[in-house]
Amino acid sequence: MSPFTSMLESLTRQRGVRASLIVSENDGLIVDSNLRFGQDGDRIAALAASMYRKARLSAGAARLGAVSFLQLDAERGRICAVGGRSDLVIVVVADPAANVGLIRVELFRALESLE
Amino acid sequence: MSLVNYATREITCKIVYYGPGRSGKTTNLHYIYGQVPDDRKGRMVSLATQTDRTLFFDFLPLDLGSISGFTTKFQLYTVPGQVYYQATRKLVLQGADGVVFVADSQARQLGENIESFQDLHANLAEQGIDARTVPLVLQYNKQDLPRDLILTTAELSDAINFRGVPEFPADALHGPGVFETLRSIAEVVLKRLSAGTSAGVVAGARG
Amino acid sequence: MNIATVEPWVEAPLRRFVDDARARLALLLHPSGQVIAQAGFTREVDVMSACALAAASHATAGELGRRVDGHAFRSLHYAGPDRQLFLSPVETARGAYICLTVFNAESSLGLVRIYFEELCNDLAAAAPPLPAIRQPTIAADFELDLNRNLAALFGRHHP
Repeated sequence: MSPFTSMLESLTRQRGVRASLIVSENDGLIVDSNLRFGQDGDRIAALAASMYRKARLSAGAARLGAVSFLQLDAERGRICAVGGRSDLVIVVVADPAANVGLIRVELFRALESLE
Repeated sequence: MSLVNYATREITCKIVYYGPGRSGKTTNLHYIYGQVPDDRKGRMVSLATQTDRTLFFDFLPLDLGSISGFTTKFQLYTVPGQVYYQATRKLVLQGADGVVFVADSQARQLGENIESFQDLHANLAEQGIDARTVPLVLQYNKQDLPRDLILTTAELSDAINFRGVPEFPADALHGPGVFETLRSIAEVVLKRLSAGTSAGVVAGARG
Repeated sequence: MNIATVEPWVEAPLRRFVDDARARLALLLHPSGQVIAQAGFTREVDVMSACALAAASHATAGELGRRVDGHAFRSLHYAGPDRQLFLSPVETARGAYICLTVFNAESSLGLVRIYFEELCNDLAAAAPPLPAIRQPTIAADFELDLNRNLAALFGRHHP
């Protein structure tokens, strides 16, 4: 049990969510996670952190301000991520049919509790 | 272990200078470093304490030039000589193709010389290596000191050279014996390679 | 990025690793400190020193682990203000090697680690078996060359 366990469980309870993780943006390492058996959390964490970092730098370069919500849509699912003032990024992996609106709300709620 | 690249015709060998504390191992490398032209040596790495005692190792890469068509490079290492650095001596000794044992010719250091020599053999044995198969050269350093303070080459030879390996008197601080020692260990190591008996040679071959 | 290798079968896996992990420098070396391949270094002399230090760090970490709880530590991570270093062993059919990776903010420890795993798999798959017959390496009359080269090395200043 970590301070993040219940937050991650709450995220993963959302319909269509396959995995939730808290990752370090700088290191690309998992801080905590709620994964299904067989999921490669290390890979998801490293690549999601890298993607979030690139998005943050891109938004900064384009003078768009901070990244509020990041969403990657793929053929068989999507990745959603939010980050705040700290180095931590909350990442969710979801099915294509998952309700992104609800996931977004839950992610912001989780981020608030993190900060 | 020697690294041999048949494609690029390069040989790299590791030589370790071993011996008790303050016997002159680092001094040997410093002298060599000072004499060799810049284009034939790399930067010398010295992991030492603030009082210049070797803490982990000194390292000096040398380009010996072309030998039988192979560009030959020697990597010279020293070990820390003080007794309590036993663990790090073992690590530095791993993969050595040849050993130069630098003995301190001072009479009062005879015990340390013998203990260090035994330590060398014990460390090799621990790695599963028969010490008799390892190219070895002995250097009796500090032969420049007053006669009444040192043992003669013959006395030192009696005490530690029971294998009858090449041995050289030396004054590493000023140079005598340093070159001869290096040449001798290079000869012994390369002789082993030419006989094709060097264990663990890694061969790079391009098809 | 330029890659130089002693063993040609190493080149493709190492290049893939360096590209995917966005590494700035990479070294593949034998545990005794001999270089097998390098990427990103501009001076050969720096490669040799880096190999010696990397081999020493790896050996130290292993020994420290054995002293602590009987099991060698495998990987090392050093973090600097601008760059980081990841050092880890790789097993191949040719024996054990060590991989040193230097990266900056373009990459991350997590990325380097996941692509390092792929490098291990690629090297294990690519490594040819050791040749059965060892050929004599140099001519039996090498002494002439050796003496000539050593004299050139020391000749100008030899007392």
